[in-house]
Amino acid sequence: MRRKSLKKLFAVSMSAVMAFSMVACGSSGSGGSKKTSDEPLDVTMDQIKLGEDYTDIKADLKFLTHRTDIVDTDFEKYKEEFNKMYPNINITYEGITDYANDVTTRLSTGDWGDICMIPTTVDKDELGNYFQTFGKYDALSSSYDMLNNYRYGEDVYGIPSMANAQGIVYNKKVFEQAGITEVPKTPDEFIADLKLIKEKTDAIPMYTNFAADWTMSAWDAYISGSATGDPDFMNVGMLKGKNPFSDRGDGTGPYAVYNVLYEAVKQGLTEDDPTTTDWEGSKGMINQGKIGTMVLGSWAVIQMQQAGENADDIGYMPFPITVNGKQYATAGPDYCYGINVNSSNDNKIAAMCYIKYLVEQSDYAQAAGAISVVKGSELPEVLKDFNGVDLVVDNPAPEGEETLFGDVNNESELGLNVSGAIPKQIVEEATSGTKTMKEMSDEWNAAWTAAQESNGITPQ
Amino acid sequence: MEGKKQSFNLFKWLGKEKINRRLVMFTFMIVPLLLLFTFTYLPFAKMIQFSFYDMKYIGEREFVGLKNYIQVFTRDDCFRALRLSLYYIGASFIQLGLALYFASILSFKTRAGGVFKGFMFFPYLVCGIAVGFIFKFFYTRGFVLDTVLQWCGFDLENLPYWLKDTSINNVSIAATSIWRYMGQNMVLFAGAIMSVDSTLYEAADIDGVNGWQKFRYIIFPSIKTIIVLNMILSITGSLSAFEPPYVITGGNFGTGTYFVIMNKLAHESQKVGLASAMAIVLLIIIIIATVLQKIFFAYFFGEGDKEAIRTVRKREKALKAKQAVEVAGKEGR
Repeated sequence: MRRKSLKKLFAVSMSAVMAFSMVACGSSGSGGSKKTSDEPLDVTMDQIKLGEDYTDIKADLKFLTHRTDIVDTDFEKYKEEFNKMYPNINITYEGITDYANDVTTRLSTGDWGDICMIPTTVDKDELGNYFQTFGKYDALSSSYDMLNNYRYGEDVYGIPSMANAQGIVYNKKVFEQAGITEVPKTPDEFIADLKLIKEKTDAIPMYTNFAADWTMSAWDAYISGSATGDPDFMNVGMLKGKNPFSDRGDGTGPYAVYNVLYEAVKQGLTEDDPTTTDWEGSKGMINQGKIGTMVLGSWAVIQMQQAGENADDIGYMPFPITVNGKQYATAGPDYCYGINVNSSNDNKIAAMCYIKYLVEQSDYAQAAGAISVVKGSELPEVLKDFNGVDLVVDNPAPEGEETLFGDVNNESELGLNVSGAIPKQIVEEATSGTKTMKEMSDEWNAAWTAAQESNGITPQ
Repeated sequence: MEGKKQSFNLFKWLGKEKINRRLVMFTFMIVPLLLLFTFTYLPFAKMIQFSFYDMKYIGEREFVGLKNYIQVFTRDDCFRALRLSLYYIGASFIQLGLALYFASILSFKTRAGGVFKGFMFFPYLVCGIAVGFIFKFFYTRGFVLDTVLQWCGFDLENLPYWLKDTSINNVSIAATSIWRYMGQNMVLFAGAIMSVDSTLYEAADIDGVNGWQKFRYIIFPSIKTIIVLNMILSITGSLSAFEPPYVITGGNFGTGTYFVIMNKLAHESQKVGLASAMAIVLLIIIIIATVLQKIFFAYFFGEGDKEAIRTVRKREKALKAKQAVEVAGKEGR
């Protein structure tokens, strides 16, 4: 009798333990709270001498990346190279296809790995809750450019993996066949050239890649530096200006950029059916001269060159806007590396070493045809058409206003540089012809103004 | 000392039959209940909570009361998106009609009936995302559909752009859900039809009944319940259509259904509170639609073994009229 009841008691308590452990699982994962087990780390990236310090450190690192295409190739190569200096650091990659969305959700669990590419959804004042600082801005900025994206106060939480300039990918042969000898410098010239391509060649003058979705948000990148030449445009002219989407009349500003897209679609200078475009296929098509131009960042050039046999036909030109007789191009960091603030100190140091290696010694940026953020490095080969073009890097927001742009942007639902809502609407309306560019820009202005006001900004 | 208290014996207490039985019940129940709670009701409660906040995925939350709900009803895109559900509801009726038709045919002796059933059920096994990609190519200019139509003598010039043309693209997309779910509905119907007592058919045959009458008076009343169930599932499914428009057009060119809009607000504009409120509003709409449907069916066709309320009322009325006539007749005499 006694034994039997003991058994029962055991069963009861076991099930209770199981149930509680499940509840515990449920609660420990939630919330992005800090739970660092070690002392706060005081090592910074500028102090580390690559190949000399911490060479015997032991760590298992997990690396979340958006580059699913090179997880098994280039990244393995970097790992091997790196392990020659740091043999005891083991790195596991996890390539994520829907990177921005998935990682945002995973970040909030606190237990996602050690290194990731910081998604744009993290606000600046939240950086410290999720990421380890790489050091002070003053110390790091002597060796690297473009650290402002994830700088909060004096601390830098993200190191750019590479940097891009914004321009237009084009096929030189198609331009030749159409009789275009000089790259266009104004929106009108550009539209005229697209018309020439349509008349004289079989190529699609401009391919929007509408169906791929993210390709549309690429258009938003041109409205700042490329369209204005002003490094403060996003934080001042756009954020605090009155009706920033209005037509300036001189072929500059956001309106001019979007109007290029509108006119191109309206005049039938883009592909027939934007809903069924094919991103992978488009690379081969521009390589073979079936497409004239595509509006994408400089990172795309290498991919277009490698998509076929005519690598030499692919060129890259600045966006056709001239401000007071001079051309500019928006430039800015790509995804930035971030280190999990919840990792152990050893893992943090190991992660810093690896990131330092990737940025300074690997050919990660060069292989992608992008600009390296290491100070004094040369412009890549693909940007040689950019001679005489000023690269404009956006200035950081003034202190206390770090999250303001994001707030207004989200509130307005225009999703600048996030969702591509504006370029998508332009393609739709230009196709069906229901709204004019003027009507749409009035709508954007209204949405933007309302969002400005609800965030306490009086547009000037 | 008579009042000597017996010391409390835990094991003995646990061993008592009454306690023991309850303990066992409790122990077996707690695991599934906990799973249900943690994975169904807790997230749902969280969503209700979120709907009262102005929040992003990451960052601080601010309590805003009913503001999100007011926005759902005042924004013009939320309810305009619900209008698209009409396309999917229309499609779901076609789908149910076809399913019922095929199920009735295939339930009787048909050559290779099993094979046909298999073929028609197959699309349901393909995952929704893959279906989206299949149809993206299917509708691409000059691809499958256009080619087939050209064989039939159509001129490519006269054919619409199936996904770009706003007058037809919602129909194109809703059609994919017919393709996908028709087979599943059919199998459910076929299963119900098979459970009908076969002696009824024999009796009907002796009476010289034709196919339509067999369907109307034998099959239909017997499978009423499953038809109601399928309709409720189809209509709630139509209200929450997501996969086809999301994968095929990304909700562009006027194909953004309620869920697609909700997803956009939550992930692109980071308005999680507003999206949660939208989800709850939709839930309430679905509940109302389901209840209305149930009432409608109970009134016109009856529920399960119960007779239709309308028939009962009619009979009562007729009875009363008859009585009245009889009474009047008596008085008049």
